[in-house]
Amino acid sequence: MHEVSFERLDVDGAIAESAERAGVISRGAFLAGALGGSVAVLGLAGERAVAQGPGPNDVAILNYALILEYLQAAFYTEAQRMKALRGRAADAANVVGAVERAHVAAFRDLLGSKAISRPSFDFQGTTEDQNAFLKTAVAFEDLAVAAYKGQATRIKASSALAAALAIHSVEARHAAWMRYLFGVEPASHAFDQPRSKQQITRVVNSTNFITSSPSTEGSRTPRYTG
Amino acid sequence: MSESAPRLAGLAASPDSALEVPGPVRLAREPHLSMWSVVERPATARSSPGGGRRIARLRTRTPEGTDNIVLVRRRARDASGGVWVEAVLPVLPNGTTGWIPRDALGGYRRVRTHLIVNLRLLTATLERGGRRVFRAPVGVGMQQWPTPRGRFYIRSKLVRYRSTFYGPLAFGTSARSAVLTDWPDGGFVGVHGTGRPDLIPGRISHGCIRMRNTDIVRLGRLMPVGTPVTIL
Repeated sequence: MHEVSFERLDVDGAIAESAERAGVISRGAFLAGALGGSVAVLGLAGERAVAQGPGPNDVAILNYALILEYLQAAFYTEAQRMKALRGRAADAANVVGAVERAHVAAFRDLLGSKAISRPSFDFQGTTEDQNAFLKTAVAFEDLAVAAYKGQATRIKASSALAAALAIHSVEARHAAWMRYLFGVEPASHAFDQPRSKQQITRVVNSTNFITSSPSTEGSRTPRYTG
Repeated sequence: MSESAPRLAGLAASPDSALEVPGPVRLAREPHLSMWSVVERPATARSSPGGGRRIARLRTRTPEGTDNIVLVRRRARDASGGVWVEAVLPVLPNGTTGWIPRDALGGYRRVRTHLIVNLRLLTATLERGGRRVFRAPVGVGMQQWPTPRGRFYIRSKLVRYRSTFYGPLAFGTSARSAVLTDWPDGGFVGVHGTGRPDLIPGRISHGCIRMRNTDIVRLGRLMPVGTPVTIL
């Protein structure tokens, strides 16, 4: 009832590109705006930083990455709150959850006002069962690794590529960790295959983990006791 | 290493990363966190996980047409491993809790707010994270139609309706009048505005919690649906 499509979350950067097309803001102004947060974080300033920053294409890719980070961060955070995990799975959820939240914070800081909003999630009990948690965690981490790899060659700005690679290797470690805990080989292939945005989208949509916000506001005349 | 160094000298410097990932963000202690969830499919609430007696049948919509929600208290497994959630239910007698199959509910959502209505002092106080962010005088139930005491939650928010009696905004709660059981839609207690601000504070209502319109509008900006309500 509340599922929404991953595609509807503006991961294609339509807002930014439309604004530029419409001449609402210039490309330079957009880049400067999109970079506002990162310039502050890195202490960068001046033309060089703006010129090498993420353009609309990279902003779209970074927002796509942000959604995956939201998904992972929300998953581990809920698992921590539910307190249903035991032993090393619980320890892993605590550590990985803290890291995924840091990824979210970093992307939001980088994207500033261009950052996509956090969607609603329904993990359908997978955060409340040890086996389901580990199975889902393996899927999420493998998916994130493949997603970052799938976008690496599409990223234009070297600074954005450096950022994506910095996270990609961490996701790969998480994937190996969760695979080990779930009892599957951490690294059984000589080469990993990337996955396109369409492939990732299809997988994420099939889980129905991303949902719309509940409809809790109405406009009927109240019939409370008064 | 020293032999290869001259060949590497022509390499350009590594680019700076566009972002700086901060240290891991630990989950803080959350003593004022409450969780709620939407009833995604009709379900029967029971007295124990996986069994026991029937407590109530839960629908997916409220009488106001909004998504039906329950305040989550804790979770447990039944003998076959199924997950059940104990929730505060919008049924009589007030304060009733029951166990609902986890798969009948949607995702967990959280709030850090808490509304406290003091029937003696005739005040409503909203806390966020344990700190007071709102207080206003209220009108509450008359002696023959008392406002029920206990622990409840905000179930819906109604706006843009046409009624001067309820003011510009009304919150639906899970509390029900124990006296007006034949009231339309079951006699739920609301927190709403009023067309008679001159009567506030006072014991003036049929059980609802009334406040001045400026106060209910302000509360509407501060209090999300799902907020626990304590009436004492």
